[in-house]
Amino acid sequence: MMSLLQHWFPQIDDWSELGQACLDTLTMLGGSLALTVAIGLPLGVWLFLSSPGQLKAQPAVYALLSLVINILRSVPFIILMIVLMPVTYALVGTKLGLRGAIPPLVIGAAPFFARLVETSLRDVNQGVIEASQAMGATTWQIIHRVLLPEARAGIWAGITVTAIALVGYTAMGGTIGAGGLGDLAYRYGYLSYKSNYMLVTVVLLVILVQILQMLGDRIVAHFTRR
Amino acid sequence: MKKLLVLLLLSLGLAGCGSSDPSARSGHDQVLTVAATAVPHAEILKAIKPLLAKQGIDLQIKVFADYVQPNEQVVEKNIDVNYFETEPYLDAYNAQRGTNLVTIIGVHIEPFGAYSRRIHAIGDLPDGASVALPNDPSNDSRALLLLARHGLITLRDPDNQLSTVKDITANPHHLKFRELEAAMLPRTLDEVDLALINTNYALSAGLNPVKDALLIEDKNSPYVNYLVGRPDNRDDPRVKALAAALTSPEARQFIIDHYHGAVLPAF
Repeated sequence: MMSLLQHWFPQIDDWSELGQACLDTLTMLGGSLALTVAIGLPLGVWLFLSSPGQLKAQPAVYALLSLVINILRSVPFIILMIVLMPVTYALVGTKLGLRGAIPPLVIGAAPFFARLVETSLRDVNQGVIEASQAMGATTWQIIHRVLLPEARAGIWAGITVTAIALVGYTAMGGTIGAGGLGDLAYRYGYLSYKSNYMLVTVVLLVILVQILQMLGDRIVAHFTRR
Repeated sequence: MKKLLVLLLLSLGLAGCGSSDPSARSGHDQVLTVAATAVPHAEILKAIKPLLAKQGIDLQIKVFADYVQPNEQVVEKNIDVNYFETEPYLDAYNAQRGTNLVTIIGVHIEPFGAYSRRIHAIGDLPDGASVALPNDPSNDSRALLLLARHGLITLRDPDNQLSTVKDITANPHHLKFRELEAAMLPRTLDEVDLALINTNYALSAGLNPVKDALLIEDKNSPYVNYLVGRPDNRDDPRVKALAAALTSPEARQFIIDHYHGAVLPAF
């Protein structure tokens, strides 16, 4: 197997480096996805509830949240990463490497995910919410037992989309020494003209995204049947 | 309404046609385009631009932030010449790309240096120190060669211009290397013990290679920065005028006055 790979891709002299890059991409993805959902989900719920006509409608709050989310989403990721360096440094003690990549990835993706959550929550049947209110449910109970369960499929679809967006963001990792497949593609594929690297990293990334999408689709289907 | 729309589209189309062929502009100015990195290359070009204007040449400087596009654009004839690279870098590019860009004239040297905010002399570098290097092939090796020349590491082939961290055969101080984007290196000074930084980025970050560098390439560095062009335009009178302007007394004075020894004329 190895010798076959070496025959097809003679420009790749260190396969373990490629393996490490895969691990780096997966680590960046895993670390940032979990936090993105942990932050983006409550943010999305808050955004939804404070919007006009909803349980906790407060135009000023909604406007402020929207503004912050819109600004964070407008900044291109590479610039966001640089602008956030002092924040990253304060949060994790470094702005380099895998640790230095996580804060900007999360701060870049959480607003995006929050918007997807908001959209999913809007699709929840108003009648069910009103019925729960009539039964005397507290806001927390409505969120916990009505809104989130009803919107589960949409939220998982949102997680899938966000995960794949994050894979794209991780390509910037090389700038701060975080490694990853995007970094190899850039340094060896683009800077050194070793097209073998371009091809192999792209194939690996396509496989990764396919797996994420398939997994996501399965989970969404599971929650949709119910 | 429809007439207005048609008129608007027509005028946009004509405007588009008008600006697409600058060299056909009748008049006295011939245009010469040059791709350059920001500091000091674009600054030096801006300084000698009036010299060329007096000869009827309109020098258009296009600033790039990476080290690949300036060559690509000249190869594709989108830009006439470039001024940002050293001969070893150009040779590596030509070899990998199968192109034949040529050096026209050597202009300056930026001695590559090692900087630190944590130590004041290279002898104070602790064991296990973190060292940040450029991650692109040419500068990665330039940084390693500098370290090897000062005995901090040993390389498999001390003359290989494409050395990488994998070519280190001895690392007695157990230095930990981190390779990242060359432009990012000045920002790592608060986190690493030593950073090896290209002078153009060091200058942009407010560092002074003469005062701040703990290690620096000497004047015999083979890394002279050249004006580079193609075989088909190396003898073009506009290109020759640019080459002359870049090595003029005015250029020399500008370099000496502005860079205080961090950039040295190579002519």
